[in-house]
Amino acid sequence: MTSYIIRRILQLIPVLWAVATITFILMHMVPGGPFTQDKALPANIVAALNRRYNLDEPLWKQYLLYLWNLLHGDLGLSFRGDRDVSQLIRDGFFVTAQLGVLAFIVAAVVGLGLGIFSALNQNGVLDYVGVFFATVGAALPNFVMASFLIIIFAVKLGWFQVLGWGGPIQFSQALDPSAWEWKKMVLPVIAVSTLPAAYIARVTRASMLEVLNQDYMRTARAKGLANLTVIGRHGLKNALIPVLTVMGPIAAVLVTGSFIIETVFAIPGVGRAFVDAVARRDYAMIMGSTLFYAVIVAVANLVVDVLYAAVDPRIRYGR
Amino acid sequence: MGEKKLGFLVLTALTAILTFAVVACGGGEKKTSVETPSAGGAAPPEQQVLVAQSAEPEFFDPHRSNFEQDIAVERALFRGLYQLELDSNDNVVAMPAMAAGEPQVSGNVYTIKLKDGLTWSDGKPLTAGDFEYSLKRECSPDVAGPYQYVLGAGMLDLAGCDAYFNGEGTADDVGVKAIDDTTLEMTLKAPKPTFTTIMSLWATFPVRQDIVEKFGDKWTDPANIVVNGPYTLTEFVAKDHVTLAPNPNWALEPKPLIQKLTVKFIDDQEVAFRAFQTGELDMTNIPATEIPTIQNDPNLKSQYLQIGSLRIWSIEMQLNNEVLKNEKVRLALSRAIDRESLVKVVYNDAYLPATYWLVKGIPGFQGNGPFENIIGFDEAAAKQALADAGYPNGQGFPKLTITVTDNPVRKAEGEFLQQAWKQILNIDTEIQAVDAKTRSSTFNSREFELFPGGWQNDYPDPENSLIGLFDTGGGNNKYDCSDADIDAKLSAAGAETDNTKRIQDLKDAETLIVTRLCGAAPIWQGAFLYLVDPKVGGVRANGAIDASMPGNWCPECWFIKAQ
Repeated sequence: MTSYIIRRILQLIPVLWAVATITFILMHMVPGGPFTQDKALPANIVAALNRRYNLDEPLWKQYLLYLWNLLHGDLGLSFRGDRDVSQLIRDGFFVTAQLGVLAFIVAAVVGLGLGIFSALNQNGVLDYVGVFFATVGAALPNFVMASFLIIIFAVKLGWFQVLGWGGPIQFSQALDPSAWEWKKMVLPVIAVSTLPAAYIARVTRASMLEVLNQDYMRTARAKGLANLTVIGRHGLKNALIPVLTVMGPIAAVLVTGSFIIETVFAIPGVGRAFVDAVARRDYAMIMGSTLFYAVIVAVANLVVDVLYAAVDPRIRYGR
Repeated sequence: MGEKKLGFLVLTALTAILTFAVVACGGGEKKTSVETPSAGGAAPPEQQVLVAQSAEPEFFDPHRSNFEQDIAVERALFRGLYQLELDSNDNVVAMPAMAAGEPQVSGNVYTIKLKDGLTWSDGKPLTAGDFEYSLKRECSPDVAGPYQYVLGAGMLDLAGCDAYFNGEGTADDVGVKAIDDTTLEMTLKAPKPTFTTIMSLWATFPVRQDIVEKFGDKWTDPANIVVNGPYTLTEFVAKDHVTLAPNPNWALEPKPLIQKLTVKFIDDQEVAFRAFQTGELDMTNIPATEIPTIQNDPNLKSQYLQIGSLRIWSIEMQLNNEVLKNEKVRLALSRAIDRESLVKVVYNDAYLPATYWLVKGIPGFQGNGPFENIIGFDEAAAKQALADAGYPNGQGFPKLTITVTDNPVRKAEGEFLQQAWKQILNIDTEIQAVDAKTRSSTFNSREFELFPGGWQNDYPDPENSLIGLFDTGGGNNKYDCSDADIDAKLSAAGAETDNTKRIQDLKDAETLIVTRLCGAAPIWQGAFLYLVDPKVGGVRANGAIDASMPGNWCPECWFIKAQ
């Protein structure tokens, strides 16, 4: 297993190089640059700015320089305020990850609960309620859900707030829970977790139903085991395998952030920062964010594969 | 099964009705307990907390700033030799700020005396040497300031500034010198009537040499920054907010009452609107699309503030295009646009329909009077003009492209124009919706045909609206307007030292530009749209100077009223 994990991590290196190269090429193919604007800057000012940021070098030179710095862990500076890209990503990710982890937990708990509940009460009224919520959650785009939530619960009822993230925005605040504002956390988490919860619920329900009809379940009941033991020990673990398949990518998506939700709630996360950087042609930030996402997705997939082996003893990695 | 399905449908229907009812009933209400504030009285210091909204700035370094949101904050942190104020008639005038009075002018040499006893926020004296350093810094090629050109040719034209910037001279050659601690001498290439106006711009703000040299790019961090304005920077969280607090060494009046001024960075104005409704913002920009909602809610309506901005919007037309080079074609296109209707339908009447280029709020404003009957809406005249151009009823007219930004409002405007031109002139157009940078790139490369776009003044003077935009080869003249008469008027204005004659030359230039539609057919003048909590006092808005936040030409004027 260990050698498998190490091999997977080493495979990351050519993947990241490919991602960096493709992003670099695409980035410079797109019209407009960081200093392009309606009120055109005089040519000599653009030249001075390009000189300042090494953008007047030939592209191949900029590319090699970027790779060289990357090997030293230097992701460069954002054109917006000359801020360190790795710090921006780290600070943004700190916030996005909080939102993502909370949303993931809510989605997992609600999705699993709803799915199991529905499966156990198949075709009952409660099953239909569960399916109803799951369908609505899956069908509504999350920004529509967010708008509803904001108008009803924040503007009209005033229960929650909409601006920014209520958890610690900087590491210094992380250890000071009194600085946190839970009122700001509720709505974004609900908005982000609804679709994954719905999806997890559907998959769990289907998987549970399939497992409940298996022969070994009937055998376990015939042996006289309590219903809870039958479902919990023999049913659940097997039902979870397909659910795990979807939870890996879901976790990756949640943790990398939803640009739309971060915009709607003005959350200083990395999702918003990335899309913003593309719009502004902030080259270093675009490269840094893309590489960051590549790593996150690769790690998430690796974690899922490892969990697979843990849950399903039939799966063995190695040779 | 049938019963269960019915139950399902009923549940869905109930949810939908309930949601609709909650959302539709009434308007958004502010979640703060605000009583009617008594006029003039200020709340005690612990309540002087203000949360404003602005788009996210790039820099707090005034010599590197390019955007309104940066400048808005810098106006609170720094102040130049002069500052723009409103006189008793609400006209914009440049008044001495750090300067003691008007400059002494002798030929091209301007001598300015500083007020006595000026200090920075850390107590060190603010001297003429600081201004000498700062102006030279704005001209420095290493700083690469995007607004260096206000000190260069065609604007202030400070001797040696362009040469230094272009690598043809040194900092020592720049024509600014501190004669002593309180006397600054500036040498221009020619006398400039708008001297004090330009010397109020952020590009001329003073910065501290030792702080800049010690901390480099980090000199604007809260721990390092030293300022001379009413506020200083106490906290900055990227992508989230910046917090300002009063500078105890602020030299001028009034002294700021707000003890904690937080500016939240929200680019999406729809989001900002919601945050205002929940009470999380005290003042905010709002999108024109929300105007109907606001007008229908008496509470919000009383907090709504609309002030004219110095932005003119037009249909810019590439004069190298085979059909657009014909003046009659441009006339047809312009006369087919019902500007009042456009502003009402697309922008909810937030803006002013315009057939003029020099905006309301600057000297030389002529309004729609001289131009309405020449280029304004007239269906019959539009059809006639197109026929005269050789395309009766649109026959043989090629399909032109309208390039717009890919957002709902600008696309709606594009569709309005497309429909108008189809219905009245029977010509087909295609809308190309792209992101902001691509659109700007299309404009700057001159590869556009029809381009809704315009101009926003950097300072309230007509020279800023015309020079560089409509002179042959002008830096912003991307529509290739090249007209000898216009060139003559603009260079006459540039050389004229008598202010009245200068303004007249510029007005004459405007008349030629508009009546000949040399590159642009104006359609509306813009406005800033704000919501301001009634507990906020001291907001005296003026679109000639305001940017980002209402009344932010004087952030030291804001206060929270006693309640």
